[in-house]
Amino acid sequence: MNSRRMKISRVAAEEWRALVRNRVAMIASLTLAALLVTSALLGVEQRNATEATRARYQATADEAFDAQPDRHPHRMVHYGQFVFRPLSALAFFDPGVDGFTGNTVFLEGHRQNSANFSEARQSSLLLRFGQLTPAFVLQTLAPLLIVFLAFGAVAREREQGILRLLLAQGLRPFELAAGKLWAYAGVVAAIAAPALLVLAAAALAGWAPPVPSLLMVSGYLVYLSIWAVAALLVSLLVRRSRDALIVLVAAWMGGVILAPRILPELAVARIPTPTRIETDVAIHHELKQIGDSHNPEDPYFSEFKAKTLARYGVEKVEELPVQWAGLVGMEGERLTSGLFDRYAREAFAREAEQNRLVRRFGVLSPLIAVRQLSMSLAATDTESHQDFLEQVERHRYAFVQALNLMQVTKIPNRNAGADPRISADHWKTLPSFTYQRPDVLLLAGDRIRDNLLVLVCWLAALLVGCGLAARRLGEATR
Amino acid sequence: MNVWKAELRLLFRAPLSAGALLLLLLLTSLSVAAGLAATARQEAIIERVEAAQRMDLASVTREHGKPDGDAGSAAYYTFHLTTDPPSPLAFAALGQRDVQPYVLRVRLLGLQSQLYESETLSPELALPGAFDFAFVLTYLAPLVIIALMHDLVSGEREAGRLRLLVSLPASGRGVWGRRGVLRYLLVLGALLVPLGVGAAISRAPVTGTFAIALAAALYGAFWWGLALLVAAWGRSSAANGAALMACWIVLTLLAPALANAVISRSIPVAQGVDLTLAQREQVHRAWDIPKEETFRAFFVKHPEWRDTPPVLGRFHWKWYYAMHEVGDEGVSTEVADYRRRLTARDVWTARLGWVLPAAAVQTLLHRAADSDLLAHLAYQGSIEEFHTRLRDFYYPYLFQERPFQKADFEQLPLYQPRPSSASIPGSPMLGLLVLAALVSGAAVRGVRTLSSSAARE
Repeated sequence: MNSRRMKISRVAAEEWRALVRNRVAMIASLTLAALLVTSALLGVEQRNATEATRARYQATADEAFDAQPDRHPHRMVHYGQFVFRPLSALAFFDPGVDGFTGNTVFLEGHRQNSANFSEARQSSLLLRFGQLTPAFVLQTLAPLLIVFLAFGAVAREREQGILRLLLAQGLRPFELAAGKLWAYAGVVAAIAAPALLVLAAAALAGWAPPVPSLLMVSGYLVYLSIWAVAALLVSLLVRRSRDALIVLVAAWMGGVILAPRILPELAVARIPTPTRIETDVAIHHELKQIGDSHNPEDPYFSEFKAKTLARYGVEKVEELPVQWAGLVGMEGERLTSGLFDRYAREAFAREAEQNRLVRRFGVLSPLIAVRQLSMSLAATDTESHQDFLEQVERHRYAFVQALNLMQVTKIPNRNAGADPRISADHWKTLPSFTYQRPDVLLLAGDRIRDNLLVLVCWLAALLVGCGLAARRLGEATR
Repeated sequence: MNVWKAELRLLFRAPLSAGALLLLLLLTSLSVAAGLAATARQEAIIERVEAAQRMDLASVTREHGKPDGDAGSAAYYTFHLTTDPPSPLAFAALGQRDVQPYVLRVRLLGLQSQLYESETLSPELALPGAFDFAFVLTYLAPLVIIALMHDLVSGEREAGRLRLLVSLPASGRGVWGRRGVLRYLLVLGALLVPLGVGAAISRAPVTGTFAIALAAALYGAFWWGLALLVAAWGRSSAANGAALMACWIVLTLLAPALANAVISRSIPVAQGVDLTLAQREQVHRAWDIPKEETFRAFFVKHPEWRDTPPVLGRFHWKWYYAMHEVGDEGVSTEVADYRRRLTARDVWTARLGWVLPAAAVQTLLHRAADSDLLAHLAYQGSIEEFHTRLRDFYYPYLFQERPFQKADFEQLPLYQPRPSSASIPGSPMLGLLVLAALVSGAAVRGVRTLSSSAARE
């Protein structure tokens, strides 16, 4: 048992020695390490700058709201509020879809505005080449480096005739495979180390959430190990190292460059989404069918009127102790918001269906699984953005209805004068939007678990494959 | 001729070469088909939106097209549809059309609060970028060239034929040229045949298609030259392959990403937010200041309405729209600044084309396909012009207090899609040409010295 362990570590040590002596391999690895560190530092700087800008805008917008003069509350409903989405701490590591979603929403009455001014809409085409972030380097470049380091692990020795020699000297194929595996586990750790140290440091400093950071570290380690084990497996199977390289580079091309671009095409072709305009028209149409508050004959609003009069025990709206127009406004807002919610839910569901279609292929391309996992953990995935939009919509409704209520109670129902206004002090009593950062483990727990599971299954399957290939190696040389 | 045929047979006997070429042909065809499907989808969406708009307009007409109809409320409730259909070449380079809206409704209200509405888009699907001809050309074609070229020389040496080959009197020198040109032409064919078919299907303009084909040829020549250069250095096939892959990573993945980080940092564009915030202040302040103040600013641009009766009460539609126009007017410097910055980002990307072939080819393709940021700015410009037409249409009703009736709805201005702003930019084309010429020239010289050095081995 002990000798077996010694043999395995001897094989690993030899492989490491060969790698260290390979100048190209060393230069490539150091370059990648430098890239990881630079992109992490750039990412932190960029994230903090973006966050500070958004916070500054939020503060200015909130101050401007509070500083508005005496007005009719309904004027403030349309003056509205601006909300800026704060960035999560781990966005420095993986900004996810943040560049593609708008990050500011204008909130006003009777309307649900979109999130505007995304980076993608304001950038030249360069953005579409990818952003230089630790996530990009680890997801896209690191696998290629691993492939280049590991493709010849066994195939080269076979080519040079060393393999037969080694096996003839009593080294078991299993020990050989295990040794190489051990060697490349070390390589994976070394490649990932700079990025993972940054993550660990951020978590320890209390800057990034610890559990998601830890899961992020594990996810990337499993992902990179998948590539290392896959390289070893191919190297065990094919006869020439050149063929191993071709197979592995092709796999990288297909899984990392091609699949993520082809699948979305499929998803949008299969699941069409209505445009904003169609949704707006549909909402408007449905509202019309519910009722028209301006029409005295309208059945819905005459019933609402009868109910209100009964509640206050009066005969005519002029006798109401509260402002009638305000009550109608509140009821209208309730109706529109109900529709907005329904349409938003439908849109989210459709988007989720599209994403599900793509994510299902995470089973075929580990990149899709790790990308999803990483975005979920960094709180920069689609669902986090939707969570933000939902919070924003809840806030919009509360703030508009609070203003409407001021109109109901503070504006006289009769003889209000030509230009009724209420004191500006009221604006300060309205809460400004504070984003409740979701706990990603609660928000995305299922997806995190599923994606981790996919990655672990990949690794396990490849390891089993290596075991089988090693056995075949033994049979072939016996 | 026979020699060429023999070379061709030789090339296709190698599984890697034949496979790489067929794969390129297949992927290019797929990308052209995907591009055509995407533009067809966009056109279908435009049609769907037009139908929805017609329905909406009909209901507004019913509601507000009364004999004593009021132009103010008609203008308030009537949305006007603007569309930006894909250019015939958009299939080849979809560019930003997946993140920029190509349908937008505007009303007579302040334009600056309406112009930046975003369309419902799935960010996760947009994240990796489109699968179109531009993608295949920029990323995949170089890889195929690398696969075909990296062992051009070393393969012969490793097979032990190199000395024999260079010592042959007749074919010694011509053989590399022939093999190199053959590979280049085959790659180009695999790229351009599907592109040509796609262009024919979408009836694309000949000059634009030709420009894209030329850009593809030059970009291909750059990579071909680079691969030949590395091949002629005389290292092993594996070393050549690794070196070329490193070039590919740096030139198509790393350098553009780095350049984007630098450009977006040196030209920040938060001004988009600034201008909407400023516009909101302008519009809402108008409710609290004397109406004459708003009209004074308004009449500077519209002296023709100076002599209409003053607004006395709390509200009049003509004041309401005047205040919106003044609000837009008040942020015009911010708007100009915002556009200047967006354009500057694009200009710097184009300049990058002098050193980065991938950036040059992207700039060229998307400019020719009219699907880049500049195209979107052109669309915004055309919306702005249309909005001015809307004002010119509604203002006489508002200021002369004419009733707005059913028949007037039929006179509403209609948005005509903008003429294509596609162009064939000279500087990235020249940049590509220079880069391709430099690298190919060095490669040809490398090959020339190769024969003599190989003979000495």
